[in-house]
Order: sequence, then C-alpha cells, then structure tokens
Amino acid sequence: MDIKASDQVKETVAKRGLKVDDVMDVIKTAEGGNKKAVDKNTGKILAKKVINNVTVYADYNVEKGILKSHANVNSAYSHRMTLGKIVNATEPSNWTCAHCNAPAFLGTAEMTYMGVSRNGPAVVCPKCGDVWVEEYLATKTLAAAEGLFEKKKA
Amino acid sequence: MGYEESFPPMDMKWHANATKRFASPFVDNPHDRIDVDPIILSHAAVACGYTIRDFYEKPELGIHCVGYISQLYDLLPVTHWFYSMPWTRELGLKLQYKETLPPISTGPILSEPGDVDKLRVMDKEELKKNFTQQEFYRIYDYVAKNLPMTLVPISYGFDLVGAAAELVGVENFIMWTFTEPEAAKKLVKIYTDTSVNGAAALADKYGMAMLIVGSVLANNDIFSDDAVEEYSAKMMRYYVDQAFRKGAGPQVFYHLCGNHETDYKVFKDNLIWSPFTVFHIGYKGKNVFPSKLLKEEYGQKATLMGSVDTKLMINPNPVSVYNQAKEQLLGGRDAPKGYILGNSCECPPYTLPGQMLALVKAARDFGTYGSW
Ligand SMILES: [Zn+2]
Repeated sequence: MDIKASDQVKETVAKRGLKVDDVMDVIKTAEGGNKKAVDKNTGKILAKKVINNVTVYADYNVEKGILKSHANVNSAYSHRMTLGKIVNATEPSNWTCAHCNAPAFLGTAEMTYMGVSRNGPAVVCPKCGDVWVEEYLATKTLAAAEGLFEKKKA
Repeated sequence: MGYEESFPPMDMKWHANATKRFASPFVDNPHDRIDVDPIILSHAAVACGYTIRDFYEKPELGIHCVGYISQLYDLLPVTHWFYSMPWTRELGLKLQYKETLPPISTGPILSEPGDVDKLRVMDKEELKKNFTQQEFYRIYDYVAKNLPMTLVPISYGFDLVGAAAELVGVENFIMWTFTEPEAAKKLVKIYTDTSVNGAAALADKYGMAMLIVGSVLANNDIFSDDAVEEYSAKMMRYYVDQAFRKGAGPQVFYHLCGNHETDYKVFKDNLIWSPFTVFHIGYKGKNVFPSKLLKEEYGQKATLMGSVDTKLMINPNPVSVYNQAKEQLLGGRDAPKGYILGNSCECPPYTLPGQMLALVKAARDFGTYGSW
C-alpha cells in the first residue's frame, strides 16, 4: 500500500515530535492485522501502535485503486499514557472496530502513567477490548493530564 | 492599593507541604495526611472580618480571603471563587447582591414553554466580554499576580439543571418536567451549551480549565432516578465531553449536593471519568452520604470526596464534627484512587472556627497515610 502525507501533515507530525516513518509503520501494522477503528460515516480510520513507550496514532483514509490501495494521512498524534482495560462503554459512536466488525462505543478505559492508574475517556470495542483515544483528547486533555502527573509526581 | 495589601504574605513552607499533600490522592504519592476541602466560599470573607456581600461583590477580595484562610486552616493550597448562577446573566437573568446571601435572581424571565425558543446560546467571543467570564478573568488575573502559587483556573458549569430552572422559576421548571419535558430539556441544553462556551473561553486564555459541574436541584427530594439521569447526569456528561473537545480539563469536580438516596447509581455509567477527577456526594436521605458506600460504588472510578454535614459546622459542639469526620475517614480513606475529606456542601458563611479545626484535626488523627 502506498502511503501519502501532505507537507502540511508532515509539518504537524514533526511539530508533535513524531516521525513520518513511525506513522507509516502504524498504518502498515493496522492494515496488516486489520486492527483499527473506522468512522462509518466518513471512512476515516484510526490506528495506533506503541513505539518506544509512546502510543502513536494515524488518522487516515484508504482509497481503493484497481491494482493498489493508497492511504492518505490526515493527521498523526500520540500520548505517553499506557492504555489498559475497558472500564465501561457508555454511548454509541460513529466508530466501528474493523477487527470485530462490530460497533465501538464512547466510554472509559484505564490509563497508566508514571506508575499511576486512573480512568480516561476513550473509544472502546467491548468485543475485543481494543481502546483508542481521539485526537482532541490526546492533544489537549490527556496531554495536560500527563503534564500534571509529571508535576505532581515529582 | 489593592486587596493584596490587606493580607500577610503566603507562608511558602506551608504551601510547599500542602502542595505535596494536595497531589497525593491523584498520583498515589502518600504524603502526610488526607486533605481537607470544606468548600469554603463566603466563610473566608466572614472569617477575615468582611461580609458575605463583600465576598461576591468584590471577587478579588473574596478569592484572596480564600487563599489566606485556607493556609491558616491548613486546607488546600489553591484558590477558588464563584457563586451558583454563572452564565445566567448572559441569558437575561438579573441578579442582585444581598448582605447575607450569595447573589440571587430578581425573578424568572420566561413564563411560557414557547419562550425558550427566544433564548440563544452565547458564543465564546461574546462570553469573553460578558459578566461571568469577566469576573473569572478578573479573579484569575488577580491570583496570577498576587497569589500565583495558588492559581487553578476553574470554569463552572455548576448546577446545570438548577441554574437553568432559575430562568423560568424553580417551581415552574419542576412542573415543566412533567407537562413540557421538551421545553425543560431545551432550556437545560441552552444553559449547558453556554457554560461549555464559557469553559472554552477560559481554556483559551489560560491553556487549561478545571471544570466544576454538579447535580444539586436534580436530586431525589424532587426528582425520580430516571429524571435525574435524563436531566442531570446525561447533561453533565455532555458538558464535560463538549468542554474537553474545546480544550478544557483534565481536572473535573463532580459535586452532587442534596439528597442522592438512590439516584447516585445513575451517574456511574453516564459521567466522563478522566485522570484528576473528584467525585463528591452530599447526602443519602437525611444523612450524609456514607464514605464507605461511596468507596464501594465509585472508588474505582475517581478520587472521592467524603462529606461531613454542613449543619454541624454551625452547631456548637465541635466533637460532633470530629466524630462524623472520623467515621467518614475510616470508611473512605483507603479508596483506591484517593480520598479527600469535605463537607456535604459549601461550608456555611458563619462556620465556627472550632468546628473547622475539628474537621482538620480528624484528618490528622485518622487520615495519616501509613497509619492504617
Ligand atoms: Zn473489536
């Protein structure tokens, strides 16, 4: 599969301290194992992979060609918290777990950072237990939480 | 000359220790003892010789009183200031200041269900120029300048149902929940959306915004469990979800004041749980909500805040505070995600210092980490 990222996306990736190669790796791994969340309305895909203790996400769309498919990267981001098991699944969402071909929900999952386990909001698949964090949460709320953990744990 | 000249400087040695204590329940770093947060508002002003009206009418003075008295009582090393009806003036309500009360409404502004359609959600930019946000900017700018070590920018959604109900009158609103549920829901939604934009405006300025949101009017004295879930718990979820999407958080304080005899269960799978969330319930029936039950039901969800009955804080019998605090501490202190000792609601303005000190003494005597 070809993977394309615009200069603007590459700039965001760099600004967030991520590597384009890692984002490509996330997509290849997700497509290989069919482990991803798919927005049933837009076809947008959310995939993640833990690379050097950081969970890296790719937000992308796949265009199916005659011979080959192309992935277009929309965005990439990361969090340092480690995702644990699902606490609850509260609300239906637009997301589907591709692996289970089942609806994913907005809910709560365990999140661990600096040895401290707390709960955090996430997209969850109750069937296989997979958990994803959407971009607005990873880059704002959880990023701020990571900062607070670092400050308060010190 | 500003209010800062009326107060002795912060004791930084105290502050450093209180900061470690404050961090402990959130990051599993047991420090000296369980923290005490009696939800001080105008009591801080009264304790410093000012009036209840001064607290609300002069927010900078009010928040400095909170910072000062918190240090003397050995409470949290952070400051806060608010009243229970933020964002209502933006929606048209008029508030008046009283000598012995927080600001109160001069009366409902809507009478018919159809009137709700005339209300409009105020956007973030408009809110920045209006009453509530201007007050928040004033207090946090003041704190940033004069008590920077205590600054936590907080945005209040507060009592989503109760504040919305003020717009039509509380009794009228309760009737609407039976006769005009769509209008009642729409009203709460408009209030909530305005509050969300307020949180976004605060996060814009300070890069973060702690959220305080509660279920006060929506409690079992008035509503069924289903109604509390529908009107309150779901809207609290919506408030936090939307505020997070706009950059607020990660700290959240869920304040369930009033009687949550059986409705306490409906919050578990409705609320958003994030790191640095505190969950608090005031009463179960006529009694304070037992911390042991709170721990069993919500201990895995968030850091908990236990309650000592606010009525005891003005009762001339300090040991009654001490004994109830002891019972709550024994029930809640080993909560898996941390425990803070509090009051069932705002500590009364004329709280007796001896009772406040009894609360803190109980935390020292029964809340010392490592002693249980
Ligand atoms: Zn699945």
